[in-house]
Amino acid sequence: MFLAIRELKHGKLRFLMIGVITVLIAWLVFILSGLGNGLSTLSAATFKNMDADYVTFEEGARSSMSRSLLSESLVEELESQPSVSAASAMGATMGTVINNSDSNKSEKVDIALLGINPGSFLEPKVIEGKPLQTNEPLEVIANDTLKKKGFKIGDTLQIEGSLEKIKIVGFVKNETYNHLPAIFTTLDEWRSIQFSAPGSDKGIEKPVNAIMLQGEKIDSEEINQLFNNTETVTKATAIQGMPGYKEENGTIMMMLAFLLAISAFVLGVFFYVLTLQKSNQFGILKAIGASNRFLGRAIVSQVFLLSSISIVLGILLTYGTALILPNEMPFSLDLKLVVLYALLLLGISVLSSLVSVRKITKIDPLQAIGRME
Amino acid sequence: MSGIQFKNVTKLYQQGENQVLALDDVSLTVEQGEFIAVIGPSGSGKSTFLATAGALLQPSKGEVIVNSKNLNELRSKDLVRLRLEEIGFILQTSNLVPYLNVLEQLLVVKRMAGKLLKQDEEYAKELLQSLGLAAKLEKLPEQLSGGERQRTAIARAFINNPSIILADEPTASLDSKRAHEVVQLIAKETKTRNKAAIMVTHDERMLEYCDKVYRMEDGRLKHYDFQS
Repeated sequence: MFLAIRELKHGKLRFLMIGVITVLIAWLVFILSGLGNGLSTLSAATFKNMDADYVTFEEGARSSMSRSLLSESLVEELESQPSVSAASAMGATMGTVINNSDSNKSEKVDIALLGINPGSFLEPKVIEGKPLQTNEPLEVIANDTLKKKGFKIGDTLQIEGSLEKIKIVGFVKNETYNHLPAIFTTLDEWRSIQFSAPGSDKGIEKPVNAIMLQGEKIDSEEINQLFNNTETVTKATAIQGMPGYKEENGTIMMMLAFLLAISAFVLGVFFYVLTLQKSNQFGILKAIGASNRFLGRAIVSQVFLLSSISIVLGILLTYGTALILPNEMPFSLDLKLVVLYALLLLGISVLSSLVSVRKITKIDPLQAIGRME
Repeated sequence: MSGIQFKNVTKLYQQGENQVLALDDVSLTVEQGEFIAVIGPSGSGKSTFLATAGALLQPSKGEVIVNSKNLNELRSKDLVRLRLEEIGFILQTSNLVPYLNVLEQLLVVKRMAGKLLKQDEEYAKELLQSLGLAAKLEKLPEQLSGGERQRTAIARAFINNPSIILADEPTASLDSKRAHEVVQLIAKETKTRNKAAIMVTHDERMLEYCDKVYRMEDGRLKHYDFQS
């Protein structure tokens, strides 16, 4: 630390430059991670929040609700499996609603209509109003982001392409599905909207899109063999099956990976060049008795110090940016993710300085003595 | 015994097809309190001689003994330790760390050995004072004159209280007044602190301060009688 701090103070300009680069990289890393987190929440929050371990789809649906159609009668059969502690069905439809109670009636809003059994483990807790009731099929609960669009408890909504009129009785928090705010209704009501056209249920009795299972010890292979025409996957796989989820996440992850790799090389090369420049100086210090450990520690602690300060600045800038980003931006910073990426960046920069440390061990102290014959 | 001893030391370099004999059967003893000089033309093996004495080079044949320790028998980690604790190098000017002030140049050597104690700092200040640098403690090398830099280097060589002092052309790039001052200082410190000191130089004006003078030519070390 002694050499590290003294040199940082002495060479302010050069270390400021590398510090600024690190700050910018860290800033971008955190913004991307916030964006990725926001997007994946928007895409699959309902799936992420639900208290299920496995999801059963129709065979060939490749973990997608929209490609899958099953009979609700499977729920009981699945529940009778010893490894399954509970099962509950879900149906999903994308739709557009018009708020009949809104005086100007102008705005149509896209929503995801999700059919569930009232009181099942799939029903999210309401933060306002009351939950779903089996005997009140026209009462629904909606995601609270709809409030910003002027929706209130007691509003009746017209679903486009259907004669059904539903009424909001409660709000839930952080429930989005396929990038749309979710509205939860009963399975029966969902069916009457989704399968209003004759034959659209393909003759399946009480159709649903998927059945969520609870039970940590479920063997999906076993369930697949027992139930023809089904395919059971983990919740994580089901989330990957959400439309666009893999593509969005993949893009952001790729950018993050490239950024981290770039930062490793930028920092590594910078400190390597500095080390080369100082190789004569290190040779002298080695001649008068400095060990490789002593000099190596000086380099590593310098990188550690510089990176830590830069990363903290990057975090502050990111939170500052979050304040001025428009509300519609799917940006959400998860403290856990921020800490994770901060440590990752720090780890990468310290690792990249090891190239310089290796160089130091190769410097011959002999070069400190005169002109060697 | 303390001090430094060369016993029939030979150093061969491989240079392409040719072998270069840098040290040819060199034997020498420098005892505590003795200040010797080695002179000779460039290419004569002076630097090889100093590097071998300073545990930076292993001899091809023969033994170098520093404070009763045979350098051939030490591992490289122990050699680093020995350089730190028992050998003080005075290198050519401008070989100070550019971003450390005068006091820190000494303290960094203390830190190499481990923790820095309060008394180390006191000792460093005393040492710098005795070398006339009391007013320059906070100065960086770039703010010092050549003579002051070299005096700082001398102080750095003495900070660990080593028993051996090795000086490599300490008067290079100094004017003759400063050069005399610097060598006088080395001689004085060697006597008062009872060190064994070797100075490699080509500056014959400095020989009057030395107890013995050797001349190196083609790797051979010979006693040299100089008339001052």
